[in-house]
This record gives sequence, structure tokens and C-alpha cells, in this order.
Amino acid sequence: MTQLFLLFANFQLQLIAKVVLGAVLAGMACSLIGVFVVHLKVTSIGFSMSHAAFAGAALGLLINSYINFDPIISATLFAIGVALLLGPISEKTRLNSNVVLGIIFALTLALGFIFLSFLPSGVVSSEAVQILWGSVFGLDTIDFLLLGIINIVIILVLIIFYKEFIATMFNKKVALAAGIRVNFFNFLILFLTALTVSFTLKIVGALLVYALIVNPTSTVYQFAYDTKKIFLFSPLVGIASAVGGVLLSFLVDFPVGSSIIIVSSTIFVISVIFSPKRKRRQKEKSLEFIKRENDEVAIEHLSPETNMGVAKE
Amino acid sequence: MHFDRESFLTAINANIQLTSQRNNSINKIKFPYNDLIVKLENVDTVYEGERIPTLHKVSMQVSKGELIFIVGPNGAGKTTILETICGILPISKGEVMVFGLSVKQEGPDIRKRIGYVIQGLEFEPNEPFLVKDVVMIGRSGLIGLGKRIKEADWEIVRASLQAVGMEDFWSRPIGKLSAGQHQKVMIANALAGEPELLLLDEPFANLDINARQEIYQLLLKLNQEAGVTILCVSHGSDIPKEVNRVVMLRQGKLVLDSNRITAVESKIYRAFVELSASEA
Repeated sequence: MTQLFLLFANFQLQLIAKVVLGAVLAGMACSLIGVFVVHLKVTSIGFSMSHAAFAGAALGLLINSYINFDPIISATLFAIGVALLLGPISEKTRLNSNVVLGIIFALTLALGFIFLSFLPSGVVSSEAVQILWGSVFGLDTIDFLLLGIINIVIILVLIIFYKEFIATMFNKKVALAAGIRVNFFNFLILFLTALTVSFTLKIVGALLVYALIVNPTSTVYQFAYDTKKIFLFSPLVGIASAVGGVLLSFLVDFPVGSSIIIVSSTIFVISVIFSPKRKRRQKEKSLEFIKRENDEVAIEHLSPETNMGVAKE
Repeated sequence: MHFDRESFLTAINANIQLTSQRNNSINKIKFPYNDLIVKLENVDTVYEGERIPTLHKVSMQVSKGELIFIVGPNGAGKTTILETICGILPISKGEVMVFGLSVKQEGPDIRKRIGYVIQGLEFEPNEPFLVKDVVMIGRSGLIGLGKRIKEADWEIVRASLQAVGMEDFWSRPIGKLSAGQHQKVMIANALAGEPELLLLDEPFANLDINARQEIYQLLLKLNQEAGVTILCVSHGSDIPKEVNRVVMLRQGKLVLDSNRITAVESKIYRAFVELSASEA
């Protein structure tokens, strides 16, 4: 009996360790990529990419129901496809990239649900739900390996090209003028975002991975003026959100992706409430308002009508 | 006059040991040009989505060490000509050569040797970039792809900020500065890359009279002592006496290109001055 209990406890511990490791890796990769996505104000790209990855994964599931196929492959291809297509489509059609992204977002979501509808009954219940909402229980060794690799790649690329990324994130024209190959670095960011979205799809879920990309950086953004600090603290918030979310899902039996987003959104709301930047901005706005009011009063006193009125009196 | 790095560093008071090589990536570039630093031949520049070219059949040459003012009314193509020279805007016709290299093919390498002060950049108050990092961006291309920033690079960034009187703002967030201070930081950004060619788009905008004078004296020093070639776009009609050449654009066409004295006495220039005065 004791042996059985120990075996169970050991299994539980292994499961928790596995889940926490998955959450740490996903939280770190998403939040590091989030620094680029938030800085470059391309949050809608991340949004469209996660839905493209969802469509790809759904297609992968459909293929997998006939032959052995990993949905991560098709999810990655779809997400990279968005990164590759966005620029040329916007250029050729001369449409605003946000319009193109809006169409891609709706189209890929529709495609995803069409692919899911073709799945043989039974398959949809487990794996499809995992892709939509995320689950840590279905992660296998390959998934952990991919998560580990993407983290290492992001960190290495960031260390090597830090100054080029800073220039690209600051202002496109200023970076171009300095001799930086801005288009290459923009594409590199999109490519890494596509990989990150695809590799974290299983744990966080297609519909929610975007929030884990944006929330941690947006949280740190409330306190920091230095990009270096944002790069350092965003992964910490990302990891805390992901691990906190996993623990919450254990406690209240929510889907893990939803729990992670609830935790990261709560952290974000708290950060906004206590944000020194927001408070300072409010103070500056009220000072501007008082100054404007004082100026208007002064102008009124100096206006000819008022002077005439004074003269009449 | 040739670009002299030692004089450049002296002009901005950079207290660093002059290394034998300016930069590895720069030294790789061949220098197949003589005194001609910029050459535009029948250049048309069309903005995306537009049919009428902003620049039309513009031909112009700039020699080393010249100090040129580019004037003209709003929408004449003054900013466009600067962005065409540094290759930020692609040309639809003609050819642009800078340092003897085609801007179309060697754009990024050419831009490593150019300092460009962009007109009217605006920053959000919460922009998460510090002044020192913004200035370092101007040197990033020169340092080289994937190369680490060294202490000497920070020294030049510090000297560039000092040259424009902004050294006390080293660790300040860029969004917290005034428009005039932004302008000075962007001038420091252009200087940090030790440029042989400076393209300045309304560099005196948002500056008070004293600051204008100080920045102008600095530019003059860079031009006369270090041999930095300067092309300065000016909306106003005041042309300082040290200016070698005045180029005037109107509706995308080059309508005047002569020395300062001939230019200010020309009919076309006087008409422009009158127009500017009536607009003011």
C-alpha cells in the first residue's frame, strides 16, 4: 500500500515538474518575443499569427487522422506563411497592413474550424481542444525539446544582434539611416514569433497564446523606461504568469491556457493601477489643463472686448 | 577637403585614443570616387501609391567638404532629395551614386558613412528608450553587424551628446524631453556615426536662438576642420555667409544651383524670400 502511495506521489511530482517546466519555457519564449511585438506595435501580427497556427494545427490533425503527422509542422508552416505573405500582400494591394491582417485573422480562423469539422468524430474531442485551449498533459519530449530550442535561439539572436534590434524597434527611418538592414531584422522578428506561437500552441492554446506574448511586456512597460530592463523583466513576468496559471488550473480545474491568461491579465491590471508612468501622465495632463485654463483666462483679460469693457466702466 | 577623423573627434571633444582603423566594416569598402561625394543623374522619385514624381529629372553633384543649403517652399521635394541620397526612398528613374557607390545596391554600407537628421521626429512620453541608447543607434551600423559595443563607442556617444550640450541627459528617457532637446539628441545621433556626409533636415527647428547658434558653430567646425560634407535643408530664407552653395527646389525640380552670392541675388530666390515672408 505504502509502495503504491509512493509510486503515485512520485508520478504526481514528475507530472508537476513536467508541467512547471513546460510553463516556464512557454512563458519565457512568449514574453521575450512579446518585447519585440509590443515595441514594434505589431500586436495584430501576433494575433493573426496565432490564428494561422491554429488553422495549420487543425489541418495537421486532419492529416494525422489519415497518416501519422505532427500538427506542429503544419501550424509552424501556416504561421511562417503569414510572416512571409504579409509584406508582399500589403505592398501589391496597397492596403493598410492592419486591413490585410484583419482579413488573414478571419480567414485562418474560418479555415481552422472548417478543418476541425472534417475531423472524424472522437479526434476532435481531445487533440483539437488541446490546440484551441492548451494543455500541459499532452506535451511529449519533442515539444519540450522544441520549446527549449526556441528559447535558446531567441536569447542567442538577442545577444548577438541586440543593438540592431534596438535600432529597428526605435524608429524604422532612424535605423535605416544608421545603415541597419531593417527589413531583415523585421522578418527575423516575425519568423521567431511564428516559431514561438507554433511551439507554445499545445501548452497555451491557439486562441490564448497571443495574450501570453503581449501581457508580460505590457506589464513591465508600466514601470520601465529602459529597453534593457524590459528585456530582463518581461521573461520573469511571463514565467510567473505561466507557472501561476498552471497552479491555478491544478487548483480549480480550469483549462491551463485560460488559467495562464487569467493570471497574466490580473498581473497586468495590477501593474496599470500602480503604474508610475500612468500616474505621472495623469499629473502632467492635469497640469497641462490648469495651464491652458490659466492661459485662456489671461487671453480673455487681454482681449479687446474685455479692454473695451474695462474702459467703459 | 578630405574627411579627417582626428579633427572630427577633436571637434566633438571625443577623448579617445585614435585607433588605426576607423572600423572594420568601413575599411572593407573600396573608395573608387575622387572628390565627388554625391552624384544624382536624372533622378525621379515617386512615393508609393502616387503617380506624379516628388523629384523629377534632378541632376546634381556634391564635392567633398561642401556646405550646401537646400531651400524651397513646402512640398518642393527638399526632404525627398535627402532621403533619395541616402537611399531610404527608392528611385524610379536615373541613378544616385554616393562615395562612388550605387545607392540602389550598396545602400546600407553607404548609410554607415552618412549622418541623417530626420525632420520632426515625435516621441511618446512613455517611450522606453534612454537618450544614450538613441544616440548609440546612430553608431550601430558603423560598429558592424553583430559586433559588440565597446567602451570607445560609448565615449564617442558621450562626446556627441556633449557637443550638442546634452551630456546631462545621458540616462533620461527620450520621451521626457522637449522638442528642442529631441532635436539635439537626433543631431548627436547623426554625429555618433562619425559621418563623412551629414544630411540635415531642418536641424534648427524647435531650437532657441542660442542653441541654433551653438549647433551652427559646431556644424561649421565639422565642415571646415574635419572636412564633413554638409547638405542642410532649410525652410527659412536666411543663408549664412559660410555656405558654399545654394540649391533650390520647386515642385520637385531643381530650379537654382549656384554659389551663395549669385543665389541670393537671383530673381527666383528673391521671389521665394517674398513668398516665405508673406506666409510668415
